[in-house]
Amino acid sequence: MRYLMMSHPTGEPTNPNLEAEMGAWIEELTAAGVLLSAGGMAPTGIEVSESDGEVTVTDGPFAEAKESVAGFALVEVRSEEEVVEIARRFVKMVGNSRSVIQRVFT
Amino acid sequence: MDAHRSIDAVWKLESARIIAGLTRLVHDVGLAEELAQDALVAALEQWLESGVPDNPGAWLMAVAKRRAIDHLRRSRRLEDLDESEVAAAPEEPEQDDVLRLMFLSCHPVLPAPARVALTLRLLGGLTTAEIARAFLLTEPKIAQRVAAAKRTLAEERVPFELPGRAELAGRLSSVLEVIYLIFNEGYSATSGDDLMRPGLTLEALRLGRLLARLAPGEAEVHGLVALMEIQQSRAAARTGPSGEPIRLHEQNRGRWDRLLIRRGFTAMLRAREAGGKPGPYVLQAAIAVCHAQARTAEDTDWAQIATLYDALVRLLPTPVVQLNRAVAYGRAHGPATGLAMADALLSDPALQDYHLLPGVRADLLTELGRTAEARVEFQRAAALTQNTAERAFLLRRADALPAEDHAVRTLADAADEFLTRDTLDPQTARSYGQTLRRLRAALGDTRPLASLTADEVTRVCTTAWGHAAAKTWNRHRSALRSFAAWAEMDDLAAGLERRAESTTRTPSIAPARLDALWSSDLPLREHTLWRMLHESAAAARTVLSLNVEHLDLDDRSAQIDGTLVTWRSGTARLLPRLLDGRTHGPLFLADRRPGPARTPAPADLCPETGRRRLSYERAEHLFKQATRALDPAGNGYTLRQLKPAGQTLSQQ
Repeated sequence: MRYLMMSHPTGEPTNPNLEAEMGAWIEELTAAGVLLSAGGMAPTGIEVSESDGEVTVTDGPFAEAKESVAGFALVEVRSEEEVVEIARRFVKMVGNSRSVIQRVFT
Repeated sequence: MDAHRSIDAVWKLESARIIAGLTRLVHDVGLAEELAQDALVAALEQWLESGVPDNPGAWLMAVAKRRAIDHLRRSRRLEDLDESEVAAAPEEPEQDDVLRLMFLSCHPVLPAPARVALTLRLLGGLTTAEIARAFLLTEPKIAQRVAAAKRTLAEERVPFELPGRAELAGRLSSVLEVIYLIFNEGYSATSGDDLMRPGLTLEALRLGRLLARLAPGEAEVHGLVALMEIQQSRAAARTGPSGEPIRLHEQNRGRWDRLLIRRGFTAMLRAREAGGKPGPYVLQAAIAVCHAQARTAEDTDWAQIATLYDALVRLLPTPVVQLNRAVAYGRAHGPATGLAMADALLSDPALQDYHLLPGVRADLLTELGRTAEARVEFQRAAALTQNTAERAFLLRRADALPAEDHAVRTLADAADEFLTRDTLDPQTARSYGQTLRRLRAALGDTRPLASLTADEVTRVCTTAWGHAAAKTWNRHRSALRSFAAWAEMDDLAAGLERRAESTTRTPSIAPARLDALWSSDLPLREHTLWRMLHESAAAARTVLSLNVEHLDLDDRSAQIDGTLVTWRSGTARLLPRLLDGRTHGPLFLADRRPGPARTPAPADLCPETGRRRLSYERAEHLFKQATRALDPAGNGYTLRQLKPAGQTLSQQ
């Protein structure tokens, strides 16, 4: 089962060693064969929407920080419980963070 | 979320490292696993109360390590226990420990199925129930396999070490083989209803990716990972809406998973960086890369693939690789070339019952416009496959081809008619049936009888019974001659030479080996039977037909159907214990009561235990098994060889 984990900041990260720990976390999950792809994302974005035939293109930044995605991880796991455990460790490591997990159909 | 399932997920993520770390401490993988399981039980008690700790792996390791040290102290193995080493043992197991564990669970002293089960259990953290489900076996069977594997590792004192330079290649290929076996069982389920079992492919991919991280300098490891990633990239395209298989060149390549393909290419680059002469996995991965690089099926570089198969067949000349090479040649150099290569494999006994051979031949015959033959081959492939989805698919392909004229008499029709004649006694019919079953499986039920050739019949016989005893060969030969004569196709069996049946008796077992047999720890029933055969020099069937009421224990003799069987002190000492107060019924009994569908004659049932008479076939099998280790050739002996040398064979 494949899942996309999207990480949303909910405040300032509380972990001073975040960079090093994040590196180790990615390394460990890759070694375990769980992590297929991951990346950090720019805080601003562009929104393209359609309504009643009208397409609108809006430049970021987003009105609310919680709408922006700071990073993503695409993982391949045995079960939903496994991806929740991985996300649990991730938000614990980052601090002030919210992860949204959605299954990717393959 | 179910807390138990959450904890199980944690366990699966952590168990390999924990068991590996503990094995280094206690030098016994079975014990290490028990200790880790104990820690898991403790975790279940605590975590259900207080929630999963921040670092569950370290928590489990700490608990398990404490228990390990207690255990070592309790078992007074203090001489094995270097306190300073224990104290210094890091909380975090070393990476190498997991690699050591892999080498251990895939060790060549274990039979392949045991390696697979143990690897999934120790490195994947799967329960025996999960492994049993994945392999469509019962849980006790898997539990037994795992337990026997641990016992063997302990008895053989397999060290928890990385293999030395000299044996590294061999040991590594054993690990790769296990991982690829797991992958293949998931990727093309050999039996059952589903074409794929995704759980197993995922486990194998994870094991492969883990191994690539632990042994980054080994090209073959990266080759295997590349091969699995690219094969898995086609998973979504391999089956149609109703689960039917879609062949590679007909797949919608837009559904191939580009992410996995890219990961496969990356692994392939790592294999190249590791250098060395390409091994079998790197070559197979290179073939997979060729397919993945082709935007459409027509763009496939078959000439390159055929060349890669040439290299692969030199390293790995298995019939299956040769068959795939025939497919590649068929695409690169025309169907006639491919068919000639596939036809050459028809006489390989290893492929007799392999459904892909007729499947490939059917494809090539279709391309050559020989549709009638192709149809028969598709049907033959369908009859040979164990997989339901595959069978349906092959039958559909057969049905899509124009049928022979219905009036034509097929091999199956003729064989059935031949066997159900009133003039045939049941025993002959059974024996002839065996011969004709092989002929039908090899040539196809729907083959028109008239199209059979003597060359084909000769080939089928040579492939199936070429190495059998002359007696067996002659039995099948006369069955075929009889069938050919009945069908008025006398020359069908013309190519089958009668073989001289040697009259030389197999030699008796050497006295020194017999002494070794008697002094080993033997089951009472077998021991008595073998002693009696040795001391009486009577035929096995005669001795097995003895009843308790035939015996004269004081006279050490038995009368049966006019034959006198006599024995000496060795048998006499054992008989009373074997009889155990029984007064009637068969002397030698089977282990179990007969099933309801197989009621033996009353004379073959023990009135006291309800068990049946031990059969001759079973007795031979037990003796062969028990004497395998004794026989320098490793085959085991037959009961006949228990007769002392120089005994006349008058009592057959």
